[in-house]
Amino acid sequence: MRTILAVALKDLRLHARDVRFLATLALFSASLVLILSVAFGPIFSDPAREASATLWAALFFAGVLGLTRTLDLEGESGGGEALRLTGADPYALYLGKTIANLVLIAADFLLLLPIASVFFDVGSLDVVPGLLGVAALGLVGYAAWGTLFAALARGLRARELLLSVVLFPTLVPLWIGAVKLTHALWGDGSVDPVRDWIKVLAVMDVLGLALAAFLYELIQEATE
Amino acid sequence: MILRAEGIHKRFDTRTVLRDATIEIAPGGITLLLGANGSGKTTLANILATLLSPDRGRITVDGEPLARRRAAARRSIGFASHRPLLYLGLTPLENLSFFGGLAGVPTPSRRAMELLEMLGMAEFARAPVERFSRGMLQRIVLARALMTDPKVLLLDEPYTGLDEEGVAVVNDVLRAARERGAGSLVITHEPERVRALASRVLRVHGGRVEEAA
Repeated sequence: MRTILAVALKDLRLHARDVRFLATLALFSASLVLILSVAFGPIFSDPAREASATLWAALFFAGVLGLTRTLDLEGESGGGEALRLTGADPYALYLGKTIANLVLIAADFLLLLPIASVFFDVGSLDVVPGLLGVAALGLVGYAAWGTLFAALARGLRARELLLSVVLFPTLVPLWIGAVKLTHALWGDGSVDPVRDWIKVLAVMDVLGLALAAFLYELIQEATE
Repeated sequence: MILRAEGIHKRFDTRTVLRDATIEIAPGGITLLLGANGSGKTTLANILATLLSPDRGRITVDGEPLARRRAAARRSIGFASHRPLLYLGLTPLENLSFFGGLAGVPTPSRRAMELLEMLGMAEFARAPVERFSRGMLQRIVLARALMTDPKVLLLDEPYTGLDEEGVAVVNDVLRAARERGAGSLVITHEPERVRALASRVLRVHGGRVEEAA
């Protein structure tokens, strides 16, 4: 547990000190929501659907910036190799990095949620707890799979490209589920009509975390 | 602890860097490893440090295959590469405490401060590493390698960027390692700086390790 926490805090500390990176992440994702709200508007045909699709697309694209930044931190001066040299449990290292990525993307979600609500004119405060629940399920999966694929892409020249090409198709069920649940909350105020998607999100979360338990050490040791 | 690499082959694309290379780091010895640029010294150091896997060959720790006790072996090997292996956005104290904590050092912050004082870097303990000169960075790299009180010390070009005082500090570290029974391997293009301390001088030539003349 100490290893997980130490790695997560280390990554978050490095992110927090890089103001340029944080500003880029925030501006990129906020711009995406603004641009799409202008593109869909000013009269929306189904604002709840358009807002939820925009919100999750912005999060997924911005998330790649975060994952790539994490890759760079490990690669730029060999920090990732030094991590291996500590002999720490590889899965604990993975979980620490996953938590850091989750916190980063969750912060972005908290930034984008009010922006999307205002610009698409959707939602009420009543559905915020439900939205936070959907975000938790969706973003845990995103961080779990993203961290795993980011480790896979480490050391490759076209790593950003590979990361997007491999990550996005894998996360299609997660993205659809998150969009449908968010749409239901913003449109009907309840997830009941699409409740089954909660299971899909949960399965994707568990699958990502479980796969990493088997693969992360192999990937880490193969990255030479 | 005896770290031994035997019959090591390593190939990158079409170029074979090491062929049947054998080397042993014995307790209390200081082995100097020389060789031309690109001869495979750093590749061999990375293999000994467990960062790189050989294509063929056997690495053992006290006679046991390394794969069986990789995590423990990693904590017993201190590796100062010519890449810093540090997080440039963190301070020396944060870097050393972080890596020491992961490696199971009981009081990593205290150990980090001890090492920074020993290496003359205590006053820079809370300054970001990214602002350091090559020589200052080199001392922090050395401190990271020493965090776990390793039984084997691998130093790849430790004198690069160091002033005379820095060179003396590295040699003091090597003497101290010898006194506590740790084995050291020093890879350098400046053998005159350490030759007097060396118990053995080897050379990598044609992908093999041989006694230097």
